[in-house]
Amino acid sequence: MNDWKPYRRYLLAALAAVLLLGAWLTFYAVRETEFVLVTRFGKPVATVTEPGLHAKWFFERARYFDRRLRLYNPRPSEFLTRDKKNLLAECYAVWRIEDPKRFVETVGDPLAAEMRLHDIIWSALAASIGTHELEAIVAPAAAAVEVQDLLDQVTAFTDRQALERYGLRVIDVRIKRLNLPEQNKQSVYARMRAERERIARQYRAEGEEQALKIRAEADREREEILSAAYREAEKLKGEGDAEATRIYSQAYSRNPQLLKLLRTLESYKKIFADNTTAILSSDSELLKILVEGERAAR
Amino acid sequence: MKLLEPAVSTHRARPEGRLRRWSSRRGVALAAVAAWLATGVYIVGADQQAVVTRFGKVVEPRAMPGIHYSLPWPVDRVTKLKVRQLQRLIIGGEVGDAALGRSDPLASQFLTGDQNLIHMRVAVQYSVGVPADYLFRAQDTARLVGAAVEAELAHQVAARDVDAVLTTDKAAIQEQVRAAAQRLLDAYGIGVVLAGVNIESVAPPAEAADAFREVAGARADAARIVNEAEGYAGDVVPRARGQAHEMLEAAQAYKLRRINQAMGEAARFAEITREYDRAGAVHSHRLYVEAMEQILPKIRKLIVDKRGELDLTIIRKGAAAAPVER
Repeated sequence: MNDWKPYRRYLLAALAAVLLLGAWLTFYAVRETEFVLVTRFGKPVATVTEPGLHAKWFFERARYFDRRLRLYNPRPSEFLTRDKKNLLAECYAVWRIEDPKRFVETVGDPLAAEMRLHDIIWSALAASIGTHELEAIVAPAAAAVEVQDLLDQVTAFTDRQALERYGLRVIDVRIKRLNLPEQNKQSVYARMRAERERIARQYRAEGEEQALKIRAEADREREEILSAAYREAEKLKGEGDAEATRIYSQAYSRNPQLLKLLRTLESYKKIFADNTTAILSSDSELLKILVEGERAAR
Repeated sequence: MKLLEPAVSTHRARPEGRLRRWSSRRGVALAAVAAWLATGVYIVGADQQAVVTRFGKVVEPRAMPGIHYSLPWPVDRVTKLKVRQLQRLIIGGEVGDAALGRSDPLASQFLTGDQNLIHMRVAVQYSVGVPADYLFRAQDTARLVGAAVEAELAHQVAARDVDAVLTTDKAAIQEQVRAAAQRLLDAYGIGVVLAGVNIESVAPPAEAADAFREVAGARADAARIVNEAEGYAGDVVPRARGQAHEMLEAAQAYKLRRINQAMGEAARFAEITREYDRAGAVHSHRLYVEAMEQILPKIRKLIVDKRGELDLTIIRKGAAAAPVER
């Protein structure tokens, strides 16, 4: 009874150590960023997707897989459109491990997975782009819908394939850059220059057109204003003349003889200037008295 | 006795000492446990939010600024994030960079809807929206944000022609790219809020830059020509209006003058007529004489007797004499 007492603390320590080791081997934490695949002597027996503390048999092993989204961004590659034009497209794929068991059985590591993904995405994209003309993919306004649909189809296809075959989920496949192949660039630049020159000429011509229009309009407006004013002015003058004539005739019709006398005298005043020499007959009305004496006045 | 005493004392002292040792050990242990528990207190700064995980599982997705408690290590783990801090990314590059070979020339090249190539440099700013998602959903959040924005940018640029991208549509592109990229990132669920997408520079490629400048020049020329024409119109039309006004006023004046003159003369004639009617012949004689009085002093006069012969030489003499007479 008393024999084991001195060893009791060692026994307790050993027991604690065994318990600790047991706990260490049994319990494992799954983080938010991970999946755990529990394997029994190498054979997968369970997939744990729920984060937190979990337990397994001490002889089982927990393998951790990153479940976070990954970005796969391959080099740009050339695609041929339906109208046999080359298009350089750089795409990216957002993916993650969905089924660790399938993943570890088929590809094992992320790099290999990306290579497999590349094959699926490339063939899907090539097939999709091959059914569209270049103008349908790169075009004002039209591009919006077409490319979106095209990429949605590629994404759905890739996702289905990758999940089925490799246990990968493809969240999105997207084209992040469109470009033209290097060997086409020079002709593109030449075309751009030609286009710019055309536009420059067009701008100048349009400016000229507008300027001419403005000038012609101004001239027309001036003529319009002046002629209208002339018309109005002549009318006013005519009214004045008519009114004056009416007034004169009304006044003069009361005594035409007097008018004759007055007008004649008036015109004399104007006709005879300083250098006029008048030869007056002595028996004229004015000079009769001068010559013949006061008898003539009677 | 002496033999017994130590025995007794030791016997008695032993439990006492043990007790004392026990209590002091317990004190140390308690203090250690208390200290361990105290490490669970954490403070979230004013510009921060924190996420608490227990054995890897999120138990507090968003701890706001202030003092908080969590279970100490290794049970809980606290991760603090500066949520307000804007992070910046650059997409594309400068034309200059490409020319100097500092960066991949393709990095800044975008294809427009009318198949022109342009160089763009875009700055993206984003911040943390949902801390737990931001921390745990993506391996490399920054690259994912960059890729999403770049994809939307390429998409928007491919949907417009080069003139729109270079001039009028910049703001629209920025806003549409931001909104669309935000939708994408929301679909990825990586807890990021895009604060802004900013086109820092956009320029035609060096190979065609002069042609683009030429277009700008042409546009300026056209504007100048139109301006000149407008200047001409602005000069001609008001001048014509002025002239028209002048003509009308002159005509009005003429009309009034004519009428007033006529009325004046008519009135004068009416007065004279009244007198004439009263005095008749006398009056007309008087008018005649008065007129002669006005006329004759101003002119040279020769009075001849109608019965005598007219010697025309007197006209000459009269002419010679006239200046002296006056």
